Amino acid sequence: MQQFANPARFLKIANVTLPYIWAITAILFAIGLYGALVITPPDYQQGETVRIMYVHVPAAWLGLFVYCLMGFFSAVAFVYRHPLADAAAKTAAPLGAVFCFLALVTGSFWGKPMWGTWWAWGDARLTSMFILLLFYLGYMAVWSSIDEPTRAAAIARIVALVGVLNVFVVKFSVNWWNSLHQGPSVIKMGGPAIDKSMLWALLTMAVAYTMLFLALHLVSMRSEIAARKLRQARLVEIGNR
Amino acid sequence: MFQQALALTTRDVALARRQGGGLGAAFGFILSVMVLIPLAIGPDQILLSKLAPGLMWLALLLSVLLTADRMFQQDFEDGSLDVMAMAKLPLEIVTLAKVLAHWFTVSLPLAIITPPLGLLMSIDVGQLPILLVSMVIGSLALSLLAAVGGAVTAGLRRGGLLVSLLVLPLYIPVLIFGVAASSANLSPSSSTPALTVLCAITLMSLVISPWACAAALKAYLR
Amino acid sequence: MDFSAAHVSYVIASYAISGICVIGLFLYVLLRDRALATKLKHIVEKDKR
Repeated sequence: MQQFANPARFLKIANVTLPYIWAITAILFAIGLYGALVITPPDYQQGETVRIMYVHVPAAWLGLFVYCLMGFFSAVAFVYRHPLADAAAKTAAPLGAVFCFLALVTGSFWGKPMWGTWWAWGDARLTSMFILLLFYLGYMAVWSSIDEPTRAAAIARIVALVGVLNVFVVKFSVNWWNSLHQGPSVIKMGGPAIDKSMLWALLTMAVAYTMLFLALHLVSMRSEIAARKLRQARLVEIGNR
Repeated sequence: MFQQALALTTRDVALARRQGGGLGAAFGFILSVMVLIPLAIGPDQILLSKLAPGLMWLALLLSVLLTADRMFQQDFEDGSLDVMAMAKLPLEIVTLAKVLAHWFTVSLPLAIITPPLGLLMSIDVGQLPILLVSMVIGSLALSLLAAVGGAVTAGLRRGGLLVSLLVLPLYIPVLIFGVAASSANLSPSSSTPALTVLCAITLMSLVISPWACAAALKAYLR
Repeated sequence: MDFSAAHVSYVIASYAISGICVIGLFLYVLLRDRALATKLKHIVEKDKR
């Protein structure tokens, strides 16, 4: 019964807080988008292209943050064997994958006018992000290919933990590899500090994205709990037959 | 404990030898890749020798990957793994013993055979020793990481594709530093940094892989 | 924002694809939650009867 106590409390908290989170998300997006598209000035070097930053950087931030969060939940699940932590890690993965994908696409839309190429292998961050997307896909594939939930959870935890460790090694290797094959005409982005007139909009967008993730994550965890209950109810039904 | 682990390794080596193992197929795979690459790229000697180290590493890596999903599957299906898990030996040591057997029978022979095949791609003979050293060191890491994929999919019928999706990202650091070590200029000192990091990666996988494999296998055996 | 500036199509494309993906994700998550909740409700009601 202890297993059910905590999801129940979680559901109660989630249902109470979700409307506020949605409201904050909507307000932040309204402010952030208005700031990003209307108020902030175009960059003196990059021109209007700099506005891609306001959707690219938050997506990249979430792509990384969600992965760390997934690793954290997996570690908690590994130590305490709590099913809610498994559900949290499982539901975070598809969300993180979408943000990771967005970071890649907007990054290459930014790269085309700035670097003159859709994909600069010379940029370590872009390459690491791509590998992060592969990890998300692998983690999701583990969940979908193992039928039995407790077994899938146990395997997924290990995959997530090994993946987090590997991300650091990959990041280090790609950086090193980059210094080896330094491209001739790669413009370093983010060299000079971002001006204050742009920073506030960027931060607002980053917080808006994070709140959006929080809301979506809470809803997906709620559906995950419902799906689990549904599965149990069906098993009982079959047993009673 | 050491004796038991040794017995396990010899058992696996003997099994692989009697059954033919994956070595023959993996070797054939490398050979056909080596023939196909020049056909795909063209007979340009300079271009080929420039690409050779990277492509040879890729061939080695993929051929080891092909054997990954069978690593624990057979023992899991016929129940030997249950017996091994019930023995006094910790499952981590069991997996380590099995990985070593895999290294002896698949990865190590491939790592020794592959460098001479580079001559097909007009590689410089002076480059062979460093290629051999880096491949021998890296192949242990390849076996260890393949084991993680094999253990995670031990109980799955069609784990092959999942294994490659999971293991290929793990192989990226090995690939980067392996190629860097073996394609560094002919002076031995220029490849030392990359070779050192390659050793570090191998040692790190030596620590993490048995733990991860044992944890995954426990989930299947429960 | 100046719509006649150079490379402005890249900006529009980035915002469009971000918007499509985020809204798509939003709809997917919410509709799935709704569907599961109604299914669960049916089963609970059946149990009561």
